[in-house]
Amino acid sequence: MNGGVAIEAVGVSKTFWIPHEQRARLKEYFAHPFKRVAYERNDALRDVTFSVAEGEFFGIVGPNGSGKSTLLKVLAGIYRSDRGMVRIGGRISPFIELGVGFNPEFTARTNVEINGLLIGLTRKQLAERFDAIIEFAGLERFVDQQLKNFSSGMLLRLAFSVAIQVPFDILLVDEALAVGDADFQQKCLQTFDDLREAGKTVVLVSHDLGVVSSFCDRALLLENGTVHALGDPGDVIETYRPEAVVTA
Amino acid sequence: MLGYLWSLAKPLMYFTVLWVVFGSLFKPGIERFPLYLLIGIVLYTFMADAVTATLPSIVSSGPTIRRIAFPPLVIPLASSLATAMTFLANCVAVALFLVFARITPEPRWLLLVPLVLELYIFVLGLALLASTLFVRFRDVGQIWEVGATLLFFSAPIMYPITILPYWAQRLVELNPFVQVLQDVRSVLLGSDPATGGVPARVDGRLLQIAIAVGLLLLGLFVHRRSAPRFAERA
Repeated sequence: MNGGVAIEAVGVSKTFWIPHEQRARLKEYFAHPFKRVAYERNDALRDVTFSVAEGEFFGIVGPNGSGKSTLLKVLAGIYRSDRGMVRIGGRISPFIELGVGFNPEFTARTNVEINGLLIGLTRKQLAERFDAIIEFAGLERFVDQQLKNFSSGMLLRLAFSVAIQVPFDILLVDEALAVGDADFQQKCLQTFDDLREAGKTVVLVSHDLGVVSSFCDRALLLENGTVHALGDPGDVIETYRPEAVVTA
Repeated sequence: MLGYLWSLAKPLMYFTVLWVVFGSLFKPGIERFPLYLLIGIVLYTFMADAVTATLPSIVSSGPTIRRIAFPPLVIPLASSLATAMTFLANCVAVALFLVFARITPEPRWLLLVPLVLELYIFVLGLALLASTLFVRFRDVGQIWEVGATLLFFSAPIMYPITILPYWAQRLVELNPFVQVLQDVRSVLLGSDPATGGVPARVDGRLLQIAIAVGLLLLGLFVHRRSAPRFAERA
């Protein structure tokens, strides 16, 4: 448990090629077979290197568009990096883009079941945890309603609840606390304490610098896809927002 | 129970229309024409619905693909298997027609298992190709509509294959769907000039089986190559 490496990323780079004009149809290839399409090159991640120890709470901060979410998706195995290497020691539970991929047409019950199975629960494990998931989200009354009728706060609670109730070693959290109310935020912070107690690794992307400085052991500042600072959260936040340290 | 009847409605209505038009107006001269037609429609509906349902499945699962890492092959598999369930329900309707026609089961009906499996391999290959291509080319849907119509009219679903010129028969028979269709008919209804004999031997079908398996392998290959980028493109 102690001394192990949970996440190791070496020289990770990810580039998106965004075409200037959409060529989403075969028709366009047929009509203009020799036309060359200009692409916008977007280097979302450039040579990102860091590691996270087992049991560590690791914060990632940076402005919008700096590559935080892309980095999390590479760690979760959703995106494949173009260069570099990612090694993950343990089972990951991703909480990305305010959700774990719900289908709005299905009920909360069906969504929890589908997501639990996709993340890797067995039917038995799912049955054991189902009530705990709904209870943590505080959605007992709405279990059999379609998700399209849920508020964004309810969706967030349900998704976060699924992410933390599945068995995992490493939790990836992207902006968990942005939408929930004060009660739920309190619950989340309590959960973080429990996770630390249980020796879980947590990677936390947040704009809430107060949460990062109080919960994280180390932090990383991303700007334009490159690592600008890495180390003690106080120092990293100092580099990011010198004025924020005073208020935090 | 009512939901089950609902899933029977489409092929049965299709059947009724074609039976009225072709059975009474054109007189195709096939023994047991209603059963001949029904088998064709049920098999065709399975193929067409499976591809049509699977085609947009990867794109419409985009929200999940962007948030959880899982093998995306389960999406087209689940979609096509759901259609296979409807197909099995439709088979009950065919069974009822067989009972009415006083046709009794025979050991050779066991051949239906490998035949349906062959059809599923062919259909899954088509569905994998279509759903993967649809991620990049959003007009694959329109192309498949044309393809589905072509498959319907080129196959001897409502007419006997013998009305085609000889060269066209040989060409159409290369289609694994046509081979399975004809074989299923001769297993259930007995051999007839229109269906081309009993499928006791596999060697006459090697080419069609190879086409079906080859299509599945091609579909798997294309799918595997594109899978790492689904989260960016779907």
